[in-house]
Amino acid sequence: MLLGLAVTGVAAGAALRCAAAEAFVTDQDGDSVTVIDLGSRKTVATIHVDGKPAGIAMTRDGSRAYVTSPSAQMISVIDTAARRVIGHFAAPGGPLGIAVHPSGNPLYVADWYTDQVMVIDTGSGRMIGHIKVGQSPSGLAVTPDGKLLVVADRLSNAVSLVDAATLKEVARVPVGAHPFGLAVDPAGARAYTADVESNSVSVVDLAARKPAGTVKVGKRPYVVALDGGRGFVTNELASTVTVFDLKTLQKVATVPVGDYPEGMEASPDGRFVYVANWDSNTLSIIDAGTLKVVGSLDAGSSPRAFGTFLR
Amino acid sequence: MTSTRRAFVAALVLLAAPPAFAHGPTRQKLELSVDVNAPPEKVWAVIGNFHDLSWVPEVAKVEGAGGNDPDTAKRSVTLKSGGVWKDEELSDYDAAKFTYGTFLPHVDVKVLPVADFSSHILVTAEPGGKSKVEWRTAFYRGYPNNNPPPDLDEAAAKKAVTDLVQPALDGLKARFGSGS
Repeated sequence: MLLGLAVTGVAAGAALRCAAAEAFVTDQDGDSVTVIDLGSRKTVATIHVDGKPAGIAMTRDGSRAYVTSPSAQMISVIDTAARRVIGHFAAPGGPLGIAVHPSGNPLYVADWYTDQVMVIDTGSGRMIGHIKVGQSPSGLAVTPDGKLLVVADRLSNAVSLVDAATLKEVARVPVGAHPFGLAVDPAGARAYTADVESNSVSVVDLAARKPAGTVKVGKRPYVVALDGGRGFVTNELASTVTVFDLKTLQKVATVPVGDYPEGMEASPDGRFVYVANWDSNTLSIIDAGTLKVVGSLDAGSSPRAFGTFLR
Repeated sequence: MTSTRRAFVAALVLLAAPPAFAHGPTRQKLELSVDVNAPPEKVWAVIGNFHDLSWVPEVAKVEGAGGNDPDTAKRSVTLKSGGVWKDEELSDYDAAKFTYGTFLPHVDVKVLPVADFSSHILVTAEPGGKSKVEWRTAFYRGYPNNNPPPDLDEAAAKKAVTDLVQPALDGLKARFGSGS
């Protein structure tokens, strides 16, 4: 009995650290989401999504993807297994950054044009609140315990920390100039922002609600992804990814990828990091061990994949 | 506090606030190219200097400093129309690969109705001693919010960039002869 429990525990742990099976890449010019099978490295579906889709949030179980369309001011709900759009939510304003609560509900949508984050009930599609944050909120992430929403306020050069229960901002922490993408570590201890205009990554201590360091990276950093003990940053104008050590905050490597790299995410097993290259129309595959690009896949027209796009 | 001092303090506050340039949510991509009857070295000798846009018909004058060093180079460009943009940066430069990249953080939309304008110029060898010249650009429309007026929408931005780039590529074709 005890042995059985132990084995079950190991199996559950292994299941959590699996390879990503599919990438759902938002193609802004193509008005679509390209679905790429990461095993065969082939495009297996193209889902039409109106309104210049940009941001994406995958539920923890991978069953749903929510896509922002800033030009149509809406969210499209994708049934990932069926590979089709099953509904739309209104998101008036400039919906761009998006995150979903670890429980699957609600949805947080940053309004690029204002100082608000919209809160949408994923069951009904109804707007259930607005959170006041800094100017031009961009990247969003929720701590794994679901208690804290972290918001990159692009024009306020800050990160807003929002209590997910009360939907109120509880702290604002200064970061570099124009933070865009943002990642929170699995422990919920630190957030990392890509500071577009200061060519840096800022580290925020979420418990202390204070800055905790800076990393100099390449030109026009856009998105941060975390993989084990390392951080990865896409540098748009340098066509590279900077890799840095999360403990020492020292640069480890600079990896050439496609042009205008934007959205990026690590597979759950940590083996690969996937990078959407907006200008090259490709998805680069970085081997997280060797830090070399081991594949480049077609990814539609102007791929952005801003958010969580792997399942 | 005197009104003069109040005005001075207000001016200081304005100076202290960094300029915050907003842009729309959808970046545009425009990539134009031309085949010319000359090897990359010869084409690069004409177009490969960040501070020389004599090959771009719409440009009247370039002033700047920093050579072709991406860490320091900046240029100001005066158009024949009279419009000027300043502080355009060299984002990368590789003479061995015949390519350089530019980034313009801010431009008056009356001069060029775009925001966050970046570009890459690239020359690649083609068979028979010919080459292909690509000018790849990325930019947002000039109007940062929803519902842009027609002169500041995506179509206006694309037209303005095309009107800058296409005559330059046509000029290279006329200078070196057609590559195809």
